[in-house]
Amino acid sequence: MYRLVTFLKMFVLTAAVGLVFGTFGSGTPAQAATKSSATIEQLTPSMSYAEYKKRYEKYYGDATAQMAEEGNPADFLLDDGKDLANKVVGSKGKSCASCHGKDAVKLKGAATTFPRYDAALKGIMTFPLQINTCRERQMGAKPLKYESYDQLALTMYIKSLSNGMPIRVSIDGLAQPFYKKGEATYYRRQGQLNFSCAICHVQYAGYKARANLISNNKHHADHWPGYRLKWNKTGSLQRRFRGCLKNMRAKRKPYESAEYRDLELYLTYINNGDLIQVPGMRM
Amino acid sequence: MKGNDFSHSRREFLKKTGLASAAILSFSALSSIIPVGGSSGWLGARDAEAAAEKGEDIKEVLKSTFGSRRIKMAKVNMKVPIIAENGAVVPISISSDLPMDKGNYVKKIYIFVDHNPHPLVASTDLTPASGKAAFSLRMKMRKTSPVRAILETSNGTLYGSTKTVKVTIGGCGG
Amino acid sequence: MPRGIGKIKIRLPRTVHKGQVIAIKTLITHPMETGNRKNKKTKKKIPAFYINDVNAYYGDKLIMHSDWTTAVSANPFMTFYLKADKEAPLKVVWKDIKGGVYQKTVQITPR
Repeated sequence: MYRLVTFLKMFVLTAAVGLVFGTFGSGTPAQAATKSSATIEQLTPSMSYAEYKKRYEKYYGDATAQMAEEGNPADFLLDDGKDLANKVVGSKGKSCASCHGKDAVKLKGAATTFPRYDAALKGIMTFPLQINTCRERQMGAKPLKYESYDQLALTMYIKSLSNGMPIRVSIDGLAQPFYKKGEATYYRRQGQLNFSCAICHVQYAGYKARANLISNNKHHADHWPGYRLKWNKTGSLQRRFRGCLKNMRAKRKPYESAEYRDLELYLTYINNGDLIQVPGMRM
Repeated sequence: MKGNDFSHSRREFLKKTGLASAAILSFSALSSIIPVGGSSGWLGARDAEAAAEKGEDIKEVLKSTFGSRRIKMAKVNMKVPIIAENGAVVPISISSDLPMDKGNYVKKIYIFVDHNPHPLVASTDLTPASGKAAFSLRMKMRKTSPVRAILETSNGTLYGSTKTVKVTIGGCGG
Repeated sequence: MPRGIGKIKIRLPRTVHKGQVIAIKTLITHPMETGNRKNKKTKKKIPAFYINDVNAYYGDKLIMHSDWTTAVSANPFMTFYLKADKEAPLKVVWKDIKGGVYQKTVQITPR
């Protein structure tokens, strides 16, 4: 088994390197040498969103329709999340429901403005981080471990209260430098394969990387935490970041690190106006 | 020379272990270092592993399930993804417009994955009360393989459909 | 993915008309171990543990029966169809090879 895995890894590497030289190598702007992180590489989408959508429908249309028709396994987490919101934990004898009403219903719409600048943190506050901060400060409870069952369930439940409401993230004022940092991260080439997020999801969206159709960066932030068939599990947007970075053979940062929070701000901001639909379900 | 030194010492080593040098000459370098006594056991284990890897043959499974009856490749609509990044979860939906009347209905729906160790995934019995010959499931696939859906009506006619699902390992989708 | 074994969800359409063919979507939590997987730390095989028998009763009549093998995914999802011609409970029963029986009943009231 180990030998098989090693062989596959080598195969993936070879294929990916082939992709770099094969697809990107024919005199495109992407061939230019790695730029410093300060400047942002000028990349233009290779096709219109309509054209991308057409390809997507052709390639994944059946599968997406099938998934929509079927149930989402992440629905189980919603019920457990609701119980967690009402559960009293911590030294102050409180639950989410103590402040935010039964089943935390007063938090309807709360998720639409996240991630946002937080003065105490002097940085970007994401929704899962906010929940953990609130638990620590207001309830005297231990923060939940990121990507643990409880953390995902609670985040998912509270976020699902805002379902159907548009994302309206602000980057004004103090959030501006963090937005710029997030944008720089999005366009920064990294890892052995020397990709940036933007090369795939802006420039080559709609083309294939091996057997996968590369997705356009629209609608990338509205459905997390969500269920993915590939994981057969529920996960967060930052888990998805880490998955992509792993494939780029780049160094990965821990969950809710400053870089990921800034990146999440950038990605959510460019998707402002999307309706929140949690839990999502994707390939 | 270093190479000679090495082969000399190796020969010495083999002599000391009691193997006749004449016998060794007929062996390749690799096989000579495998203890002769253990070779049959070693190969035996490999054979068993290979057999387990191979699993049941789809042709035999189909033959034992349906005998020599002909399967009409029609009237079955099967939906599967073109590629699956995770072979452990592959959605499949099967539907058909065949009648579901009292005397003439779809009795059974079979799902097979050719290259799975056990090709049969599920067999479902329906009744006229189902109203529609349709069924969906999520299944495991060991590797890229044709997927077959076969419907058996109450009068014994078989209808089938087959599609290939590519199972990619690693993939680019994070 | 969800915690525990045998948690069940059954989804019906919001409104059911008399004589309509409706889709019943079911989800149950179960590991569906094949018996071929190894524990990565101890290198020991995880024993097989899977659901092999599913039955659906509409009123007291068996309307659907399914034999499953290990090739059904963990936390099995299933859709089957039903002609809603009477007001009756729908009971779905899952049985696994270790003798576990999991069931849930939903009421079907056609209008």
